Amino acid sequence: MSYFFQLVVSGIVVGSIYALAALGFVLIYKSSKVLNIAHGQIIAAGAFIAYALTGMAGIPIYLSFFLSMVITFFLAMSVERIFLRRLIGEPIISVIMVTIGLMSILDGLIFLTPFGSVNFSFPRFLPRTLISFGGVSISWTQLVGVIVTAVMIGGFSWFFKKSTVGISMRAVSDDQFASMSVGISVPRVFGLAWATAGLSAAAAGVIIGNITGLNFETLQAFGITVFPVVILGGLDSILGAVVAGIIMGIIQQFASGYLDGNWGLNGTAEVLPYIILLIILLFKPHGLFGIHEIERV
Amino acid sequence: MSTNRWLATGNYFTSYRDEQRIFFTHLDRTIFTFFLSLLFVWPLLFAVSNKYMLVIDNILIAIVAIIGLNIVTGFAGLISIGHAAFVGIGAYTVASFSRTLGDSHVIITHAWPLMIILSGLMGAIFGAIVGLPAMRLKHLYLAIATLSFQMIFSWTINFLEFFNQGQTIPVSRVFWFTGKLDRDEHYLFWYYVLLVVVVLSGFMVRNLLRTRYGRCLSAVRDNDRAADAMGMHPGLTKVYAFGLAGFFAGMAGALHAYVYRGAGFESFTLHHSITYLAMAIVGGLGTLNGSFWGPAAIITLELQVETLAEHAGQIFPSSWNLATALKPFSFGLVIVLFLMFEPRGIANWWRIVRSYTKLWPFRY
Amino acid sequence: MKNRKRMTVAVSLTLIVLFAFTFQAQAGETYKLGLSLAITGPTSDAGDPYSKGVEDYFNYVNDMKLLGDDKIDCTIRDDQYKTDVTKRNFEDFLDMGIVFYLNYSTGSTMALKKDFDEEKMPTIPASFHAGNLEGSTYIFLPIATYSAQAIGLAEYIVKNHKGDTPKVAMYIHPSAFGRGPVSDVEKAVAAGLKMEIVEVVEHGTDLDNTAMLQRLKSKGVQYIISQTIQSPVATMLKDASRLGLIAKTFGEKGKITFLGCHYTGGNDLVALAGPAAENFFWTTSYIVTSEPGPGTDFQLSLAKKYGRDEKTANSHNYINGAMVAQVASECILRAKKKGLKITKESLYEELLAMNGANEFKTVTTVGPVTYSKTDKQGVDTLQLYAVKNGEFKSVGKPFIPEYTGKIK
Repeated sequence: MSYFFQLVVSGIVVGSIYALAALGFVLIYKSSKVLNIAHGQIIAAGAFIAYALTGMAGIPIYLSFFLSMVITFFLAMSVERIFLRRLIGEPIISVIMVTIGLMSILDGLIFLTPFGSVNFSFPRFLPRTLISFGGVSISWTQLVGVIVTAVMIGGFSWFFKKSTVGISMRAVSDDQFASMSVGISVPRVFGLAWATAGLSAAAAGVIIGNITGLNFETLQAFGITVFPVVILGGLDSILGAVVAGIIMGIIQQFASGYLDGNWGLNGTAEVLPYIILLIILLFKPHGLFGIHEIERV
Repeated sequence: MSTNRWLATGNYFTSYRDEQRIFFTHLDRTIFTFFLSLLFVWPLLFAVSNKYMLVIDNILIAIVAIIGLNIVTGFAGLISIGHAAFVGIGAYTVASFSRTLGDSHVIITHAWPLMIILSGLMGAIFGAIVGLPAMRLKHLYLAIATLSFQMIFSWTINFLEFFNQGQTIPVSRVFWFTGKLDRDEHYLFWYYVLLVVVVLSGFMVRNLLRTRYGRCLSAVRDNDRAADAMGMHPGLTKVYAFGLAGFFAGMAGALHAYVYRGAGFESFTLHHSITYLAMAIVGGLGTLNGSFWGPAAIITLELQVETLAEHAGQIFPSSWNLATALKPFSFGLVIVLFLMFEPRGIANWWRIVRSYTKLWPFRY
Repeated sequence: MKNRKRMTVAVSLTLIVLFAFTFQAQAGETYKLGLSLAITGPTSDAGDPYSKGVEDYFNYVNDMKLLGDDKIDCTIRDDQYKTDVTKRNFEDFLDMGIVFYLNYSTGSTMALKKDFDEEKMPTIPASFHAGNLEGSTYIFLPIATYSAQAIGLAEYIVKNHKGDTPKVAMYIHPSAFGRGPVSDVEKAVAAGLKMEIVEVVEHGTDLDNTAMLQRLKSKGVQYIISQTIQSPVATMLKDASRLGLIAKTFGEKGKITFLGCHYTGGNDLVALAGPAAENFFWTTSYIVTSEPGPGTDFQLSLAKKYGRDEKTANSHNYINGAMVAQVASECILRAKKKGLKITKESLYEELLAMNGANEFKTVTTVGPVTYSKTDKQGVDTLQLYAVKNGEFKSVGKPFIPEYTGKIK
């Protein structure tokens, strides 16, 4: 039985990290209806910046964690300013395509640094001991991951619900022309959406980097890994990202915990999220928490 | 219809029949015929190295695939992030025969045209199945359904022993009337086959778009409720678009398996799906000639960037990583700049050039 | 008048061309080689130092005039781990007239196998997958196959395990590269190796292996043999270290001892896993820079000569690439000494003759490089290393796995 609970707890922990990585997608989609394919590269960039600050410049890890979020915030904002501002009003598919091109550009820039092909790991700053209760255990890194996710998600939910800027972002996502007519600066909102997505990506990058070590391929793959989470949650719902993240985390843990090795199956954790996604989409096309556009085809 | 059948400075359509013509003037037809015969003749006049013949074959394969992708994404407006998986279905149809019958069984080496069509049909079947969610899904959600298919395809190929767990399944060289092809003839032979397939596919799509079956695609793309009111079934139309796209992708896959003499899962990953999408968009979505421009442009670009990186590598020491970083960087930059300044793709330049020459020497 | 002028031009041009050719002949010949690998894209953390090793060693050959006035010109291309691009590069290399080809990934080696045979092109890939050799005559692996490595580790377990039959799990990459050795280890067990394979785990992009490790632990697994790349192993080791599962000594009771093949280890693993990599057992045929010796000196001086950073200089993939380049230049040197023309055929013959008294001894590997018609693995000898205080240190003497012969 403790095995079962361990799977559940691990699933929740992994899931909340997924949710954090998925948050960046949601923030951008929520305001500009764009799916940012280059998100994995931004996650990796965030982790590398944090490492460069602490491992190379010698800044304390907590400070460099914070600084990396700030730098990535402005980095993502300038990416939006340089590459995407011009495309406001163009078909969505062109914009998505630009993010694909962006993926290659960021790849190139990262390969210019040692991080593209050399592995690193963060200096250890959390206790190596285990947090155990009733035969179930998680690590300090994971605990910090969950806390950061919770804080981020809580903060962004509040931001969207209560703050003026957040409300204007929601307004833009609902109707660009109407929000322009009430005096909201749409380009500014888009820039802000990318910036906040960069912020959450940096946080996700540092946490994932702490768990897996800093390997470019591993980090950037998370951009794709969290796709099912984003869709399952409904592209524009922050709460959805959390719930879907946790569901996916648990499904993956159960798949590798119970399916793999039996009946000749193996590596099911990689594919099961997509199969479940396909099934769920057939019954709930807008994900669990996505906005239903009432429209019958 | 203008009195001059060779040149027309404007549209002189007086009936729907006029508007549906494939070639509007004799000049169009002559230029096209000349260009086509040039494509058939040039390899006889110039000897091209194997590398460039392979590159050209690769472009033609991509063109067949992009014609399919353009039907579903361009004409029907459904984003597909799993096109490489459909191409893979085609390649693995050939590979399955090779796996069960042996790689130089008569069916594979002699009946290859049949195999290509069969692969196309397999692609169409899978396309229609994957398209089924289109009955309910729209926009990006549908795109993700295709992404799911891509992932499931990769896993299945990678996992099942029947598919050699993703390792290359060899496919033998084919026979022609002159006997078994040898290494030097291989790429040239497939150039001609591919050229025929591309020309036939091009005409097929061109004709399709003149019929109700083609026009209903763009009707559904532009406004599916209006299309519904006009008596079309938007859901079925989308499924049919996916099926059609799958057909071309499947043919491209079979051709890929033959040209590269084997099918391995590494040629049909998500990365390739994204590249196909890039080709379609750079070429120009929703245009037939864009399907030709896109692959040619992207693959040529890749080669140019490679040469550039190689020159850079001779100038800068390799410890700077400059040459290696240059390749992905400049590739991405060209795509991004292109989309920033010409989101409608190369097809739009073609349109501008055409209308300019049509009216020349008058300006507009 | 005009004709005469034209004549003069033609004659002088011909003379220049002739002179240029004779001049070239005096300056020695240039032998063209090709290498296509992933410097960017997947597995670039291995490919990048590998490419630098190849590049530096060939530069070293040219600069030290090891081949007299002759030069080696090795074109290195980045294929970003795409098989189609590898094929294109190979066709291009053929057009250039290469005499020896260096390849990289398992996938592309398998895909181009037939081309190598048809072109009779001696090829050394960076993948040690046993399947590369099936149905192929022109592929030569630089060192023992992954299967041999995994069997070597299994034999070491059996020899050093105290108590009843050791229970082993395998942790593998979800691809042909990872699955390759599984069946061979199973065959070795069937042929009499006294151990039990409890489970074969294919990993994904896992962020948490706690449950997997607990499951294996509850099944009584005491050893995990990994055959994958570094990053997943690092994640697993970190989880195991947290759970206190890593054995302090080899085969410690109630704990798990982690072992791995060539691409799981090296300094990259230590860099990724940090202190959790302690007591990780790793096998390869290359020397490591943390063990002093002539090989280490050579590796570091080579890297220093060409201005490589510290990480590259100490990478086992750097010496992996350099060693492959060594084998290629050794073949050219031997053919040259015999007065043969350097062609792909003569180099192939040289490779085949590299055995017995003709074996190739190099300081960068733990054993001699031997090839013959039946033996396409270069260095058959393996060395076991273990991480002690963040550095890989030798464990025991170099050995040759016994069961690789028995399962054929």
